[in-house]
Amino acid sequence: MLADETIPQIRPVRAEAWLEFVQVLTGVALVAFMWMHMLLVASINVDLGGGRVLNLIARFFEASDMTQIGGPLIAAVMLVHFVVAARKLPLRVREQRAIWSHSLSFHHTDTWLWVVQAGTAFIILILGSIHMWTVLTTLPITAAKSAGRIQGRWWLGFYLVLLPMVELHVGIGVYRAGVKWGLIKRASRKASARFETKLALAMIAIGLVSLFTFLVLTKA
Amino acid sequence: MGRTLKFNIFRFNAEDPASVPHMDGFRLEETEAMTLFIALNRLREQQDPTLMFDFMCRAGICGSCAMMINGRPDLACHTKTKDLPAEITLLPMPVFKLIGDLSVDTGTWFRSMNEKVRSWIHTDNRFEPGEEEERMDNALAENIYELDRCIECGCCVAACGKAAMMPDKFMGATAFCRITRFMVDPRDERKSDEYFEVVGNEEGIFGCLGLLGCEDTCPKNLPLQDQLAMLRRKMGFSQIRHLFSGK
Amino acid sequence: MGAGLAGERVAVAAAVSGFDCLCLSIVPPRRSHSSAAQGGMQASLGNCAMGRGDSPDIHFADTVKGSDWGCDQEVARLFARTAPVAVREMAFWGIPWNRVVAGKGFYYKAGKKYEKIEPAERAGTITARDFGGTAKWRTCYTSDGTGHTLLYTMDSQVVRLGIEVHDRVEALALIHDGESCTGVVARCLKTGKLRVYLARATLIATGGYGKLYRESTNAVINWGDGAAIALDTGLVPIGNPEAVQFHPTGIVPTNILVTEGCRGDGGTLKDVDENRFMNIYEPEKQELASRDVVSRWMTHHIRTGKGVPGAYGAHLWLDIRHLGAEHIKTKLREVEEICKEFLDRDPVTQLIPVRPAQHYSMGGVRTDRDGAAYGLKGLFAAGEAACWDLHGFNRLGGNSLAETIVAGKIVGEKIVEFLRGGETDFKTSVVHRAVEKVRERIDAVTGSSGKENVYLLRAAMGDVLMDQVGIFRNEADLRDAVEKLQAIYERSKKIGLRSSSVHGANPELSACLRLPGMVRLALCIARGALMRTESRGAHAREDYPERNDRDWLKRTLAYWKDDRELLPVLDYELPSRVWEMPPGERGYGSIKIIASEDPGICSPRPETN
Repeated sequence: MLADETIPQIRPVRAEAWLEFVQVLTGVALVAFMWMHMLLVASINVDLGGGRVLNLIARFFEASDMTQIGGPLIAAVMLVHFVVAARKLPLRVREQRAIWSHSLSFHHTDTWLWVVQAGTAFIILILGSIHMWTVLTTLPITAAKSAGRIQGRWWLGFYLVLLPMVELHVGIGVYRAGVKWGLIKRASRKASARFETKLALAMIAIGLVSLFTFLVLTKA
Repeated sequence: MGRTLKFNIFRFNAEDPASVPHMDGFRLEETEAMTLFIALNRLREQQDPTLMFDFMCRAGICGSCAMMINGRPDLACHTKTKDLPAEITLLPMPVFKLIGDLSVDTGTWFRSMNEKVRSWIHTDNRFEPGEEEERMDNALAENIYELDRCIECGCCVAACGKAAMMPDKFMGATAFCRITRFMVDPRDERKSDEYFEVVGNEEGIFGCLGLLGCEDTCPKNLPLQDQLAMLRRKMGFSQIRHLFSGK
Repeated sequence: MGAGLAGERVAVAAAVSGFDCLCLSIVPPRRSHSSAAQGGMQASLGNCAMGRGDSPDIHFADTVKGSDWGCDQEVARLFARTAPVAVREMAFWGIPWNRVVAGKGFYYKAGKKYEKIEPAERAGTITARDFGGTAKWRTCYTSDGTGHTLLYTMDSQVVRLGIEVHDRVEALALIHDGESCTGVVARCLKTGKLRVYLARATLIATGGYGKLYRESTNAVINWGDGAAIALDTGLVPIGNPEAVQFHPTGIVPTNILVTEGCRGDGGTLKDVDENRFMNIYEPEKQELASRDVVSRWMTHHIRTGKGVPGAYGAHLWLDIRHLGAEHIKTKLREVEEICKEFLDRDPVTQLIPVRPAQHYSMGGVRTDRDGAAYGLKGLFAAGEAACWDLHGFNRLGGNSLAETIVAGKIVGEKIVEFLRGGETDFKTSVVHRAVEKVRERIDAVTGSSGKENVYLLRAAMGDVLMDQVGIFRNEADLRDAVEKLQAIYERSKKIGLRSSSVHGANPELSACLRLPGMVRLALCIARGALMRTESRGAHAREDYPERNDRDWLKRTLAYWKDDRELLPVLDYELPSRVWEMPPGERGYGSIKIIASEDPGICSPRPETN
């Protein structure tokens, strides 16, 4: 009584593989963008809040239409990344409960990191969209305009939340992408995790310094 | 030494209509070189003969005795009480069907896993009793053995956040490791697409979140992180190849 | 019954021939005790340099010598001839056997380093390692997990063929009408419910009965259930129950086995002064003499006061430090794991505390060379549960795994022949009677007002066997042991449950149902040992130190004819029909031999088939 040993008809559901690639590639693209974005923002510090360097860079991107096209494109990539990655998110209450109680009882760093990543995803989706809408509907980008926003009460709080959310999400995301695709091996995992932590902290620090510069030194 | 251990043990007997799931407390004097195997048997023989749990080889080889020890899945037989705090909470592993107290039905789960991944050498050759064996490089043989060491204890599944969310569907690291074992074995003639059919989906490798609960709890220390990444790459790129080959 | 290596191999043979096959197992099949065998499987492939010139003839001779001429020589011949094919078949099914690596290599023997050169033309063929009691390197292996890979690969075939396995099911009685066996009454260990399984052929492949002993390397499920229910029929005998092997290297205190491979690869035994002693007792084979010999010298050495004192009694040291970290971490990895996990010791730098512990039951359900049990048609046995009689009075390392696969293959084919050869009548009245009897047993336990504690009785039995029916035996101890066991047997009828409820698979009830059968087996061992007034293989009588071929070249057959009896009925038969290899010196463990006077046995005869 042999089990059915005929080779099964090959009907690969390639979409699953594609979606996996789309998720990691959009993720990597967004990380690259976020790092560039951080460079732009941090340039405010170069002339201690004078904003000349920042304005220069912003003007270059706008003059070459990269902001007008790139901005909405980044928004679209973010949306795609969210939609694709959301396949993995616990959307049903039963699943949410399961992962929550699992994380609580199973004292395991990487599991918590993912919970953080999933949680930050929702916050970034909302706050990030608001930020992008605001910036892109009030072009051009200038140091004075940004400073004006940050010096208005609510926006400071807004960015103080968004900044660590983004950097956590990015840092964990890079680490997990490395682990999942094998760039980070068992042997290098500990060192990579340490490096990622330092990188995320450094990014948050740069962000905070920039926020401080906008808040105190830059003229609105 | 000389500690009095306090055990909190999950209790439920599905066959007893009067039984409701609850935690029972036990106290036991710790002795030298005590493992949970020794402790649980003493509890059963001296305090509560209805206590259900599974042991077989008591040597970390058979994989029968996995349970949640202070929140982490591990083999009870090789867990020394001296490495644990004085208060020890024991729960049955999640995902698997509960039989009673700490005993879960891993047998049914793993049989169905093995059927799902078609966990055997697929070949069109026939065995010829008179012929010499097919030759193989010793390094390759040892590599296969390395991946063949899984003892099907279920720790990786109990430690998996994805399996917690998708308990009746997600295959778990054990299945992925098994597939890579056959992938590296030249005697298995399956092609990438046939493996893809089995694991190239949301219940399979693309459902894996990379939480590495499996990697961090595997009592046999199998290279799960690296194997899962390898499987993800192979499965992913096999489909990219289709794009370029136009098939 | 039993889904270890032997049971599954038989199932595969039956399924391949088109028969419906169902395995019952107390545990999920891949948890069977077969998985614990670390060392390897003997087959005379003769691929590696140190195995050159090996052949089934030499394997046969080693096995017969090892058995101390207690084995069935036809079976040993059949076995040695089939083993290489069986190993290759397992390779075909996926075992990652270690292979020959061409070029210069080193090995250790008795603590000294030697060089060997593997020729390039054999590179990639299945290699072998050295094991106790063999003339050539013959033990095929996959690092330290041979049993594990064999069992997983065998089960992969079971899955492939769609053979059903009911795990957590314990057989409690055979269904038979005095002539034919037609199935079993079993209890589900998930729900506690009784089930009837009807079959045209029933196989007992339930492993050994090591757990009767207090200290045993066996898994906790090896209480001899298969042998016990066969004995219960009153028709099927247990062959050589007194032939119980002790393994020299169980770790102290948990009795977990560290493989013979340790000594095969050059590990040495040392005493309290960290001096070797096997080179004094056995100058020729040293640490590699057969298990019974090494175990006995170890016990002897401890008795002379050279043991290492400890909280769990005296022990000796196993030293593998000189093999080097690389060797230990690859070839002997499970040994390293066991030491670290259970002893908190690193074998690369530290000594391992060891002492002999019960290890293997050579005896079991007596079968003919086809695996058919004596006494009942349609009943078969294979593997450690059987007394097929490959091992006689001592089993060689690496021959047990080999036996499961080889016997499974041969017996499986014979069962197929049996199934094709005739029809079976199933009588419902017989089934009904068998079920009623089991029900009565359960009711007797659950309804009992007795005060005896099943766990204490089991421990008492283990103590008696360990202390008085152990490595060295003598008449006074054995007489006393039989009496004590009879008392325990009587008390086992007055067990009272302490469980508050017996719903489902109550573990205490399970233990109660098992105990009487276990004590009956224990009595067979003790009685068999008492009556056998000689020393042969693992059976060592202090009061009869010589091997007596004149009076005792025979196999014990123990029957339990009547429930109310307190002793087995012993019968004897010649161990072998043919004497291809007449009794002689083993070449190790030198003892005096009283020669046989039977001319048919003393002179070699050609192989008959």
